[in-house]
Amino acid sequence: MTGRRTGRLAMTNGARMATLLVLFCLLVVAAMSATAIGTVTMPFSRIAAAIFQFDGSRDHLLIMTIRLPRVIAAVLAGGALAVAGAIMQAVTNNPLASPDLVGINAGAAFAVVTVMTLFGEGVGDIYVWFSFVGAAIAALVVYALGSLGSVGHSPLGLVLAGVIVGTFLTSLTTAMLIFDQSTLDAVRLWTAGSVTGRTMAQARTVVPFIVVGLVAALLLGRHLTTLSLGADASRSLGQNPVVWRGASVAIVILLAGGAVALAGPIGFVGLVVPHIVRMCIGVDYRWVIPFAALGGALLVVIADMVGRLVFGSQSFPVGVTIALVGAPFFLHLARTRLKGET
Amino acid sequence: MIRLIVSLTLLLAVLVAASLAFGDVSLTWRELFDALAGTGEPDPQSAMIVFDLRLPRVLLALLVGVALATAGTITLAIMRNPLAEPGVLGINSGAAAAAMAVIVLVQDPPVGLLQAAGFLGAATMALAVYALAWRSGTSSLRIILIGIGLSALATAFTTLLSAFGDIGDVQRAMIWLAGSVYDASMVKVRLLALWLIVPVALALVFARELDLIRFGDLSARSLGQPVDLVRGLMIVLVTVLSGAAVAACGLIGFVGLIAPHMARRLVGGAHARLLPVAALIGACLVVAADLAGRIILPPVQLPAGIVTGLLGAPFFAYLLWIRRHDHR
Amino acid sequence: MTTDKTTRFGKIEGKGVHIAYGKRRIVENLDLAIPERRFTALIGPNGSGKSTILRTFAALMKPSGGNLLLDGRDLTKLSTREVARKVGVLLQGPVAPEGLTVADLVRQGRYPHQQLFGRWSAHDQEACEEALMLTGTTDLSDRALDSLSGGQRQRAWIAMTLAQQGEALLLDEPTTYLDLEHQIELMKLIKMLVAKHGKTAVAVLHDINQAARFAEHIVILKDGRITAAGEPETVISAETIFTVFNVKTMVIRDPVAGTPLCVPL
Repeated sequence: MTGRRTGRLAMTNGARMATLLVLFCLLVVAAMSATAIGTVTMPFSRIAAAIFQFDGSRDHLLIMTIRLPRVIAAVLAGGALAVAGAIMQAVTNNPLASPDLVGINAGAAFAVVTVMTLFGEGVGDIYVWFSFVGAAIAALVVYALGSLGSVGHSPLGLVLAGVIVGTFLTSLTTAMLIFDQSTLDAVRLWTAGSVTGRTMAQARTVVPFIVVGLVAALLLGRHLTTLSLGADASRSLGQNPVVWRGASVAIVILLAGGAVALAGPIGFVGLVVPHIVRMCIGVDYRWVIPFAALGGALLVVIADMVGRLVFGSQSFPVGVTIALVGAPFFLHLARTRLKGET
Repeated sequence: MIRLIVSLTLLLAVLVAASLAFGDVSLTWRELFDALAGTGEPDPQSAMIVFDLRLPRVLLALLVGVALATAGTITLAIMRNPLAEPGVLGINSGAAAAAMAVIVLVQDPPVGLLQAAGFLGAATMALAVYALAWRSGTSSLRIILIGIGLSALATAFTTLLSAFGDIGDVQRAMIWLAGSVYDASMVKVRLLALWLIVPVALALVFARELDLIRFGDLSARSLGQPVDLVRGLMIVLVTVLSGAAVAACGLIGFVGLIAPHMARRLVGGAHARLLPVAALIGACLVVAADLAGRIILPPVQLPAGIVTGLLGAPFFAYLLWIRRHDHR
Repeated sequence: MTTDKTTRFGKIEGKGVHIAYGKRRIVENLDLAIPERRFTALIGPNGSGKSTILRTFAALMKPSGGNLLLDGRDLTKLSTREVARKVGVLLQGPVAPEGLTVADLVRQGRYPHQQLFGRWSAHDQEACEEALMLTGTTDLSDRALDSLSGGQRQRAWIAMTLAQQGEALLLDEPTTYLDLEHQIELMKLIKMLVAKHGKTAVAVLHDINQAARFAEHIVILKDGRITAAGEPETVISAETIFTVFNVKTMVIRDPVAGTPLCVPL
């Protein structure tokens, strides 16, 4: 019975802080590069000028209306989904949990497909709202169903309720898409997860939700660690697990609901980034949350950049590149960092 | 226990009879009985409807239900995770990727090719997950995580094809993936039945091993179980079972996850009881789903995989609701 | 552990308590007062309701009827946080998330004392360090819980309950899975906490002789009822043991400690 995972427990808080800073710098560099690189490569100075001294020139317009919104969407969606995933895994104590587990993706997809089936493609920016509301309602139903009676005292109730609601909504969505080719054509890029053609207006709609969610998550990290000890232990320490599970679901709705509204259902980030973070820095959620936020944002920004550069297509869905970039890394970590059995 | 098995069997029989009787042309119970027993004045048309059109379809649905529920029960036991279903091993994503590739990349693929691709995709993924998770032994968590990683890659491939493929092809692939038993034939039924006999029987034989492995690797090993061997064998069974189900009628989700959970609530955790009850529940679910898919919105036929979600999910929620005061 | 200045010492008292799982009644009309600042052992056969009573007294389960008082206040009306400040609980076979270190776990013991967005104070740190020291886990604090032996892990969980600095400690079969050395070490630790730090300790124990040797007050339960309660010398008798456990024994005097010692016939 020796240490099950290696290379992690030696990390002191100072080292964690330093790593966090490095990650932050990496994210800034990646975001700047993502804005700079494209069919026309811009120097960083021009990007700064476009942000602070906008002069309406073609380059500035390109930066402010096409490239920057796309990068901002990637940062927001990535950070939010990763944090939401970390919260879900702590709450359910289940490595398979992701924000999708509370029906976020299924709810958002159902809402978007319904709106497009009914009103056609010309819904414009409003679909962001529908997506968010659909996600939120689905998650609330899951939470209500999952808190019923005695099952509600265990995370299993939440898990089963999530599967039920998710399956139901996905079936409805599929039924609509099978019989409606034009809607299928319109939403298939969205369902792949994409940050192409995002506007500042869309990003602005979603920013408040995600920022509030992130701040709340950062403040509540400590409670998440307690919650992850299990319902009995958490109660014996004076924590009301039902209340905190509810608060966690609320935060997940803000974060993942906002992210999905912006970038479509990118499932992989929320599932995998928290695992990578825990494998690297441990299970103290005061640290897991900030690391997940930066790591998730970094993954999505880089994945989107790779998609544009390698595949040479502006509309290459970022959901696909995230998996192509993230999955091999994740597989490597799972093979090398996880020893022994559970 | 015996009462439960009998009532489930009766329920299944009623569902089968109803599936044979109802449809575009509905038969009376009398006509159905005559056609089945060959009594009275046999009406050649109703005999044709019952034997050639509906019976293969119903039997196929029944077999697929048994296969999915058995595979789900095994997966739940070896993964020790309430969310685990055969999809965890990458089976669904592998089959979906292979089928999508065949439909989008091959002009007018024959049905046989599609089925073979589905099975091969599922089997390849399961094998890859197990192989990658092997590091002088396996662990449930590592299998789950590797499964997540590889599934993500396969799903990315599927998404890519669906995002850029011909829209008509994509739609056809979605229908196939939604899981449907509409092109059933007696040949297919016989093939599937033969294919399923060995793995289902093996699962029953290994019921005690499944009871044991649920306790955790260490306890199981201390009781003399070669854990890695058993887990490997069980994964082969799961692959054979759900791969065949996928090949027969595409992806029918939910059954593999929900049937074992329902069975566990009814008869507890011993697999000698759990397996047959789950299999019966799975058969009922898929037969009922196919029947409902045919009669909800005629003449439209909803794929059974969609109906399992639409009807199974609320039903399961109802079960949670009425049993909310029970402990355990 | 700084002894509390108030006059309250984690006195837990149940009057006419009913406990049920769904419709199955486990305990009916139980009157049980836990003497404060003493070490009480609950013993009884499997299924006698010991653990259930312990969990109810720790406010982890709600009684279906009767009164439960913690320092004279209705236990069921107190918030879980208020209870956790006074009562620390060690449950059977607790499972921690993989990779959690001992220090991480012990920090959790400060949970009931922290405000919603409160900062980690010097007092919190002190409490944790003291808890680690008392349980002899200081050297293990950077190790992952799942890499420890059963005895070390058990001590880490006890350290967490100690970091709560509650006046009462409730322990559900704390010595199960421990080797003889660690069993005795743990019993001595509890005894010391009661004697030197004025704690009220309640432990569910399986070993009658261990209970008789270390506890000052013994409650013997059968089928959710109290068969006998009091000091070991008065409670442990051949007749009581036979009625409760259905085992014929002879009770002799422990040659070392002078406490009653049951020897099965």
